[in-house]
Amino acid sequence: MTRKKVSAIQAQENREINWDDYLQAYYEKPTSFRTWSGYETKELYTPEDRDGENYRENIGEAGQYPFTRGIHRNMFRGRYWTRREVVGLGSPADTHERAAYCFKNGGTGLNTIADVTYEMGLDPDHPWAQQEVGLTGVNIAHLQDMETLVGDIPLDKVSWSLITASTAAAPTMAQYVAVARNKGYDISRLRGSVQNDPIHFRYCGFRPACPLDLSIKLGSDVMEFCTREMPKWYYTTVNMYDLREQGLTAPQEIAYGLGIAMCYIDELIRRGLHIDDFAPRFTFYVSCHIDILEEIAKIRAARRMWAKLMKDKYGAKDHRSMQFRFAVHTAGCSLIPQQPLNNLVRIAYEALAAVLAGVQSLHCCSYDEPMCLPTEKGHLQALRTQQIIAYETGVTNVADPLGGSYYIESLTDKMEEEALKFMKEVEDVGGMEEAIRAEWLDRRFEQEAVKRQKELDQMEKLVVGVNIFTDEPEKTTPLGVQRISNISTKSQIEGVRKLKMSRDMNKLREAINKLRDTAAEGRNTIPAMIEATQTLATTSELLGTVREVFGYSYDPMNIIESPFK
Amino acid sequence: MAKKKIKVIISKVGLDGHDRGAKVVASLLKEAGMEVVYLGMYQTPQSIVKAALEEDADVIGVSYLSGEHLVFTPLIVEEMKKHGLEDVLLIAGGSFPPEDIPSMKALGINEVFRGGSLTGEIVKYIEENIGGQGA
Repeated sequence: MTRKKVSAIQAQENREINWDDYLQAYYEKPTSFRTWSGYETKELYTPEDRDGENYRENIGEAGQYPFTRGIHRNMFRGRYWTRREVVGLGSPADTHERAAYCFKNGGTGLNTIADVTYEMGLDPDHPWAQQEVGLTGVNIAHLQDMETLVGDIPLDKVSWSLITASTAAAPTMAQYVAVARNKGYDISRLRGSVQNDPIHFRYCGFRPACPLDLSIKLGSDVMEFCTREMPKWYYTTVNMYDLREQGLTAPQEIAYGLGIAMCYIDELIRRGLHIDDFAPRFTFYVSCHIDILEEIAKIRAARRMWAKLMKDKYGAKDHRSMQFRFAVHTAGCSLIPQQPLNNLVRIAYEALAAVLAGVQSLHCCSYDEPMCLPTEKGHLQALRTQQIIAYETGVTNVADPLGGSYYIESLTDKMEEEALKFMKEVEDVGGMEEAIRAEWLDRRFEQEAVKRQKELDQMEKLVVGVNIFTDEPEKTTPLGVQRISNISTKSQIEGVRKLKMSRDMNKLREAINKLRDTAAEGRNTIPAMIEATQTLATTSELLGTVREVFGYSYDPMNIIESPFK
Repeated sequence: MAKKKIKVIISKVGLDGHDRGAKVVASLLKEAGMEVVYLGMYQTPQSIVKAALEEDADVIGVSYLSGEHLVFTPLIVEEMKKHGLEDVLLIAGGSFPPEDIPSMKALGINEVFRGGSLTGEIVKYIEENIGGQGA
């Protein structure tokens, strides 16, 4: 957009009405017809754009291959999506309380998120953890923390999504299973998911905790363990969302996400599993950004691409393997702190896109995300946004209501075509593992992030409150600010210190030795992690022990030595 | 005589891994003609100030997106004072509530640029406010 074109807008910012500019604003029309990801669109799409359409093969009914229109025949008539808000703050007790609050207000699934210290595999008493424990989520250092987090929540009734993405997802799963067993639950009946996508998490600041070989090893251990022992559990949520938040475009998001998914799939096949043994429990975390129609097309394309990938590349026969199951997280990076209430509108549009695209589980950002962790009111508002879409708008009546639109089908094809080009590019540099090792993907993320900022700087993309209709930023956060209590932080640090002094060291040492041997012999580490968790081994002790077997420092931050030498 | 380039340290601090913004700002300040040293993640107040001393920096920019802004700001300022870096401009970027901006400024942050800031605003602020050169 040129400076001249927005002159009317600028005048308004100065709060002086220039009536000539007003006239210009009255007749103003958009200057760009590109999608958010930069693709040109036509004025009108007609049957000619769908010349030679093979509906059965390329689109198909909802619930039928290639699942472009959705993974279930009747979609939301069968069941609403899971309304699942991400919760994680302060201590396990604080987080439990907020989770219970969400349930009381109509949340239908739990989504608890690890803090930076837990994701890094550090106990709260670690020198790097002490200042940050609980600031961005919850640290589960040991069995008792997980017991506190679970509290009185009936694990056989709820669907629990455990957001630990790094290699710490292995201890998370061990801690969850240990608590469930102690409470007498049959783990084969538990429903929920664990994020468990350590490969992508190297791009989110957790590289010390996510070396590539260990990411594939521990990630796949969780997947294999759950496949064998927990058939109702979704053992990974490959996180396309976090990739998008790095500044990628819509087709790049699905291309690189599928590339990372294949790293795990290839490993599970190397371990002797058949694709249909495990693929039905493979899930994805997808972003919904602000360009509603492009996001819907992206998701429809991802469904078709996954179905083809499973069938053609991996030889899947079970239709459930070909169903692209996904949760949506509305785009945190689309929100701004300057005019915070406008974020409510952005979130609602993004959530609407997710529902129109046939989402299985949805987290709406809270409007205060660019300022602080969600306040209770922020969480409630996010939940209410989902409820308005579900109960008021009527968009749930029909499966894939936009399917068959000349434009949506053309844009879906475009997303697939572009994503395939990005996948081919990765193939040409030697596949995803090599693209990661050679830091090719790092460079791509950096280039794209700079492009996104330049689009704003140069007004190629317009964002209200950023480069148009800017006001003096709000001086207060409308519904208050979430603070993390010092008491919670201190109690977490003290708790783990006390625990470490009160354990039966012989039992603990024995369990740690067993875990070390299991890892050294190349066997699945999860059963040994569960046993060690029962002897009150901490997260850092579980991970550190396995790290050493793989030739890494016991402590990702390289300060603490193993106490089990 | 060629004017000395403005030298900027951009850094993350602590465990916060949200580095998209910090890297983008580092790249774009470089494009604006400044000399930028990006320290990356897992920095401490000590390592940031040490780098600023070694590089003879005019500006330190820290990025906070994990609620750690009030934890690390006083530590960084204290470390800067200890080494006589009071003239170095200290700016912060990232996600934090507007309610905290007065406290951050009282602690010694000269200016903040949260998400949604444009590069031009940052460049302009630095050019107009760096120690000695702006005076």
